[in-house]
Amino acid sequence: MFSFLRQSTFTMKVHCFERKFCVSSSSLVPLPLPSRMETHFWYILPDEVKSSSLLNQYLDLLSPCEKENVFRMHGDRLKKRAILARALVRTTIARYQINSEVSPRSLKFRKNIHGKPEVEWQLDDDWRPPPLHFNISHTSSLIACGVTMDSLIGIDVEEKQRTIKNNILSFAQRYFSHHEVELLTSISDTEVQRQEFLKLWTLKEAYVKALGRGFSGAPFKTFTIRYGGAISGNVNSEASQIVVESCDDSTSHTSNWEFTLLELSSHYAAICTEKDNNAFEGGTLFLWNKII
Amino acid sequence: MAAVTGSAISMTSTSCSFKQNQALTRISKFNSVSLSINGKCFPSLGLRSAPSRFRVSCAAKPETVNKVCEIVRKQLALPVDSAVTGESKFAALGADSLDTVEIVMGLEEEFGISVEEESAQSITTVQDAADLIEKLIEKKGA
Repeated sequence: MFSFLRQSTFTMKVHCFERKFCVSSSSLVPLPLPSRMETHFWYILPDEVKSSSLLNQYLDLLSPCEKENVFRMHGDRLKKRAILARALVRTTIARYQINSEVSPRSLKFRKNIHGKPEVEWQLDDDWRPPPLHFNISHTSSLIACGVTMDSLIGIDVEEKQRTIKNNILSFAQRYFSHHEVELLTSISDTEVQRQEFLKLWTLKEAYVKALGRGFSGAPFKTFTIRYGGAISGNVNSEASQIVVESCDDSTSHTSNWEFTLLELSSHYAAICTEKDNNAFEGGTLFLWNKII
Repeated sequence: MAAVTGSAISMTSTSCSFKQNQALTRISKFNSVSLSINGKCFPSLGLRSAPSRFRVSCAAKPETVNKVCEIVRKQLALPVDSAVTGESKFAALGADSLDTVEIVMGLEEEFGISVEEESAQSITTVQDAADLIEKLIEKKGA
């Protein structure tokens, strides 16, 4: 079980589901595609997958190229994580009622010009692929896949206990914006400072991944993520908005983005999606802890 | 999360014996030589199909590669005897994007250089990092 702290623009409703793993791979319960107002967040904890035969079934779903990538990983833990990451993406996308041809194994992927992974739909004369977007993130102990319809999405997950090897303020001075450095500097408790650093990191990562331009497409220094109105405001305010702003006068970072920061029991998860400016209320976030 | 984008460089899994072949890793900047034998000039010969383990370009000094390996091991908390070589891909060692940025920052401090985001994004292996470091050091000295 987990508790969560959500900081989002409007009142975002959150529904969470937890399931056990099913051994039978044919038990992929189909789901309708997300509506424009929904964000789906699927995740698994690799430590919960204990069966090696199940792991082999997952491996079997992967493309030859993905399998090669798995075997290049150093050590069993990393190999397992690589298998689960690809299996999660494939089973998650195939789960939506797309068409009868789509299965976890049949899906093909490619990267856009900036290296962001996307589905390579097998086009047919009469069929137009759904505007389904996804983004993956993994740490050693959690793998997540976010899915939206008709909206760019970027996610990032980090372990709450993760230690930063460099000095946090030096790191922030090198890579974060001026406002963010100010915020972090104003926190005297080193533990709280480390936590706030991680939250900022995940939010910034999620934004850059949503943009899909790669690390250099939106250098971290050029935009600020902040909570609510005040720059050095109360970081624990539950009602505050998370917004992104340009550091200079350029309008390259617009206000079309919605951020959600989840606090799962051992992880932070940041989700960034495009805002539907016609919506009066925020969307609904669905969480599932399952792979098949 | 392996969020670092960049071109995928496919490396063979043979462990590159940088330790034994130190002399060979320092490949000359000039990839062609002209021979003159008995007064006759032969057209320049390019370095022919080098074994796939070696790049036909300016490869970084072994000391630089070793230093990068050390910083990577420290960042990823890998045991001292773990297999980290020039060919090692950061992602294959378990580095996520925060690790990679931390590694780049560590390299900047160690070597006194500054790495642009575009360059950082293209680093996928230890060798990439070492080559970039030497390029930046050279530029700094110029």
